[in-house]
Amino acid sequence: MELYVLFGTFTVLLLIGTPVAFCLGTASFATIVYLGLPPVVVFQRLNSGVSVFALMAIPFFIYAGVLMVRGDIARRLVALAGTWVGSFRGGLGQVNIVASVLFGGVSGSAAADASAIGGLMIPQMRDKGYDVDYAVNVTVVSSIIALMLPPSHNLIIYSISGGGRISIADLFTAGIIPGIILALSLMTAAWFVAKKHNYPTEPFPGFRIMGSLFIGAVPGLILIAIIFGGVRSGVFTASESSCIAVVYAFLITALAYRTLSWEAFTDATFAAVRTTAMVLLVIGCAASFGWLLAYLRVPAELVVFLQGLSENPFVILLMINIALLVLGTFMDMSPLIVITTPIFLPVAVAFGVDPVHFGIIMILNLGIGLCTPPVGAVLFVGCAVGNVPVWQAVRSIWPFYFAALATLLLVTYIPALSLWLPALFR
Amino acid sequence: GAAAACEITLRSSDTHPEGYPTVAAVEHLGELVKERTDGRVCVEVYHSAQLGEEKDTIEQTQFGVIDMNRVSMGPFNNIIEETKVFSLPYIFRSTEHMHQVLDGEIGQDVLAAFEDHDLIGLAYYDAGARSFYNSQKPVKTLEDLKGMKFRVMQSDVFVDMVSALGGNATPMPYGEVYSSIQTGVIDGAENNWPSYESSGHFEVAKYYTLDQHLMVPEVLVMSKKSWEKLSAEDQEALREAARESVPFMRKMWAEREEASREQVLKAGAEIVEEVDKTAFIDAMKPVYEKHVTSDNLKQIVERIQAVK
Amino acid sequence: MRSTMLRAAHFTGALATFSLWASGIGLVLMTVFITWQVFGRFVLNDTPTWTESVSVIIMGWFIFLGAAVGIREGYHLSFDVMLHILPRRVRKILHTVSDTVVIAFGGGMAGFGLQLAQQTWSSTIPNVGWPVGVTYLALVFGGFLMVLFSIERVLRRFAGLSTVRFADIDNTDGD
Ligand code: NA
Ligand code: NA
Repeated sequence: MELYVLFGTFTVLLLIGTPVAFCLGTASFATIVYLGLPPVVVFQRLNSGVSVFALMAIPFFIYAGVLMVRGDIARRLVALAGTWVGSFRGGLGQVNIVASVLFGGVSGSAAADASAIGGLMIPQMRDKGYDVDYAVNVTVVSSIIALMLPPSHNLIIYSISGGGRISIADLFTAGIIPGIILALSLMTAAWFVAKKHNYPTEPFPGFRIMGSLFIGAVPGLILIAIIFGGVRSGVFTASESSCIAVVYAFLITALAYRTLSWEAFTDATFAAVRTTAMVLLVIGCAASFGWLLAYLRVPAELVVFLQGLSENPFVILLMINIALLVLGTFMDMSPLIVITTPIFLPVAVAFGVDPVHFGIIMILNLGIGLCTPPVGAVLFVGCAVGNVPVWQAVRSIWPFYFAALATLLLVTYIPALSLWLPALFR
Repeated sequence: GAAAACEITLRSSDTHPEGYPTVAAVEHLGELVKERTDGRVCVEVYHSAQLGEEKDTIEQTQFGVIDMNRVSMGPFNNIIEETKVFSLPYIFRSTEHMHQVLDGEIGQDVLAAFEDHDLIGLAYYDAGARSFYNSQKPVKTLEDLKGMKFRVMQSDVFVDMVSALGGNATPMPYGEVYSSIQTGVIDGAENNWPSYESSGHFEVAKYYTLDQHLMVPEVLVMSKKSWEKLSAEDQEALREAARESVPFMRKMWAEREEASREQVLKAGAEIVEEVDKTAFIDAMKPVYEKHVTSDNLKQIVERIQAVK
Repeated sequence: MRSTMLRAAHFTGALATFSLWASGIGLVLMTVFITWQVFGRFVLNDTPTWTESVSVIIMGWFIFLGAAVGIREGYHLSFDVMLHILPRRVRKILHTVSDTVVIAFGGGMAGFGLQLAQQTWSSTIPNVGWPVGVTYLALVFGGFLMVLFSIERVLRRFAGLSTVRFADIDNTDGD
């Protein structure tokens, strides 16, 4: 019965359009009252759920990302990517994907990637004779790469939702190879689609221009180097690196590019505050929700239930993947991570799956959900930037879904893709 | 005979994983209680910090949301004054000394102090002795420690202790310690044998100096609200079971320490046993002066030192 | 009623702006403190021990204040696929139900937050020395502002004024 109160209240409030954080909080509140326990615990969990040092990386990475989008960094990375893969079949589509790889190294947000890269690439692709839906499709699905490559604040959310004992440094490192595989498989899909529609290629600009564009992109690339170099050489920790990213982004935009006026600075700060407050309130309320799930023994009983269904971890992982894909079509990424990690992670661990590996599966899976209707933040951003209706973009997106799902299967069933690199660094 | 279903289920929190001596001890206690109440009272352990970190679960126990809680003495330092003495460096001369103090009058007096804070103190469990480990060199003297960065828990006493020893105290979340030692953000940390082993820190910090600066016992507390709901006879059964779980726990703890020690040694850790402990203890004077301020604390410290 | 609400909007608008500035300053302070922490440890070999705790407290404050501003500005995440298939009148009722839920929860934050602050006021935060209750005061202020801003939403809706909805799609609803 308690579970009906918990999930029932949550679902009803969600459907009538109550903000997700309050659906989670109020459902926990109602359940605590139903159980006859002191409701004060709901608000204690809310407070301690957001009072976690590692969570600080979320405002910092978001802040750094906002500053960088306002600086000139995204445009320069796109220009650089153009010199590398522009002459491949489907030229600008390939450029778009590689630009997402570069941008993904400085940003942890798929929506930021879709608006920054999409804003630059989609109009350009349209002018060169590409179909707009192709331009939007490539932009949207390749944005998932930003989630996989470090930094990724969603991996931090995962680590904390998993009890805060999963190494963030390991998670960051683990995402690199799957992120690159995703890029390669999307490039393959882009190649096939481009061949079918006979899309143009870009002429190779020559090594001189390649060199000068590379130099122009260096400040953006240096950030990647600073974060990695700084963490690996012991100057700062993985969570502190997010703060250094803010300082660096501030110095670059304020001093090097001189694109940061006082108004732009306060705007960027307020934008970061708004996004962070929204995301972290959900995390705090989900901490109450997660506490109740643990109190009511939901994960423990789910493990027993699933063990009764199958003893094969492959089958269990497939079921979890399908559940996450379905949930992902309806809900946003960060609330889903905080809600489902305490439920599914113990199951995965009971079946012998490494928590780091499971984190990568989860991020990739829910990343795909960001690109699907009916609720897909990144899909909406891409369609808004390209000015195409969602249904039109989705009609031709399937080759990219296929590539992303194929990558998900590879990442799910070959743990080494996620675990080999962190083990190397250990 | 335990035939009937549980009428009362006491939920107990623990931050350690399943199979850890504290978790096993509370589970053992649960079996004893169930047996002696004819199955009426059961204990269910929520291990691995499922219900939150120690600081949070202490508050939850005070509210009566959870019934029992196995926690370190450390987080109580800023709540219950008397508990501070157990977090003083080198307060106990040895494990035997510690057991003498805890099992005797002083231990009972400190447990009694919990009652003013809506808690009932049931039992003390072992947590071994904490010592320094680092990635740089075998530390034998105070001179060796100078300027080294050690991770400590967020606690005034522990920070002051490391500073007084000449080190650089660096508070940091536990989850970041491994990679921070590995990359050189810090030089080392401090902990007991089982944690040194299970955290994997021995892989990156192979020099373990047995200076045994802290012996902070664990404590099993119960919510006063839940306690008062029990009948006098169930309360007595619980107290007795708690008492009996202590030797069970101590035995398991010793075994666990030994197993960890063997594993760490096999992995090539270098153990420094001959430490100039008197120099370390002398260096603690300012720490005692700063933190043992009230007459109450001074008295307890003197009583502990008087225990043979 | 319309004119009263418009006058009230000046007041709540000023409160929201103040909260936003406080949150923004908090974010900048956090950046400064953590940078100082890295500098102190790496360059001075003397790690400041207060930076971590103080930054976490500031973060709590700016999350709850920022989240309250989010109620007034309507930028919280919500799921409104179902709302689209409903007639406008029903939608308006459901919006008011949502606002009432926020009022209840915000009230809980303020009330129980105060209780938590009182209970923990005598405990101190290690290496900072402040009462633990300080961390819970953020809940109190944030919750109070959430209640205030939600009441404003409901009253504006009854007065026939616009309220910004929680997702982009419904931005113009309630005009
Ligand atoms: Na990224
Ligand atoms: Na979706």
